[in-house]
Amino acid sequence: MKSKQKTATKQIVQHEQALDLYFKNMLGDLLSGQVAPEPKVEVKTHPKSQIKRVPEPVIAKEEPKTQTRQAATKTEGKIMPLSVMPEWSQQEFQTLFFKVDKMILAVPLTELLRTITFDRSVTRIPEQPSWFMGLMDELDSRIGVLDSGQLIFGKSRGMQRNLQEKPYQSILITADGRWGMACDGVLSIGKLTPEKVRWRTCRQRRPWLVGTVIDELVTVIDIRKLVPYRKNEV
Amino acid sequence: MSEDTNQNDPLMQWVTFYLGDEKYGINVMQVQEVLRYSEIAPVPGAPNYVLGIINLRGNVVTVIDTRNRFGLPSKETDDASRVVIIETENHIIGILVDSVAEVVELKASEIETAPNVGNEDSSKYIQGVTSRENELLILVDLNKLLSEDEKAELDML
Repeated sequence: MKSKQKTATKQIVQHEQALDLYFKNMLGDLLSGQVAPEPKVEVKTHPKSQIKRVPEPVIAKEEPKTQTRQAATKTEGKIMPLSVMPEWSQQEFQTLFFKVDKMILAVPLTELLRTITFDRSVTRIPEQPSWFMGLMDELDSRIGVLDSGQLIFGKSRGMQRNLQEKPYQSILITADGRWGMACDGVLSIGKLTPEKVRWRTCRQRRPWLVGTVIDELVTVIDIRKLVPYRKNEV
Repeated sequence: MSEDTNQNDPLMQWVTFYLGDEKYGINVMQVQEVLRYSEIAPVPGAPNYVLGIINLRGNVVTVIDTRNRFGLPSKETDDASRVVIIETENHIIGILVDSVAEVVELKASEIETAPNVGNEDSSKYIQGVTSRENELLILVDLNKLLSEDEKAELDML
């Protein structure tokens, strides 16, 4: 009897280890460094009650369903499938590298219209969030200028900057010509291939942070997710 | 033909004033008069957007701290400071501004909605923006400068 139980326990452990390995292999790239570590599976301390239940045919049939459901939930809740990654991230893309404070960021060129020097004042609209610096007329469009520091580093750290003493130098204008990201300077333009980037697929927090260039440790941003949604359209 | 165009695109006059570096416009039809700054008597228990009251030819008029209302830092009054007496939906109030600039004419088609990236209530009194002489003019809807509750609050001062 005891040897049968031991065999059953061994089988369960092997089964769980195999599944664990399978999911790790399948999601390894997605999980690396992005998702909080999953709780370790305790392979040695299964209570006897669980061991007894497993051989029963009904439970044995339900087990795979439960696992599938958990995996699906994980896919829907925590890990966004690659299909929701921005289109530009699927193949080689040209990137503009720019600087905000001491951080270097990369944005695909296709998401930008142009860059301009921040050499004019903006018109502040009353009672708007502090990261909304104001409006500026630029050629044929009226752009809303955003404080990239506050959007990227958060309000508390971003607001520590004294814009009078240390004003932004450049503005990146988004492809739709409606937003300008104030930054400390445009650095260079380069090409990136998807494999050079560690893509961030779990993006419930900071959805604009899509990945990191592995060699240079530069943050790749999805500018569409960083600019706000305009409640009143111009 | 031109009448039609005028009807579809009416011309409006706006009194412009400054608060800080920004220029604002208010509908000239709602402006009763512009006064030089004179002593404003504080009212105990008044909300923070109320500077106090003035006596305007026998009528008591409440003066609004426009800088406070617009979320701007306060500033000492000077020779350029003005109290603009306005009429908003049966309420006569004064608004303190840094200076009054001019009266401008604008076609309705020249006014564009200002973006609101804040919450629902923030800057709901901003009617729109327009570009004039290389600067943006922010147009204020005086009827929305104060909420109904705030207007009721003023009545009780």
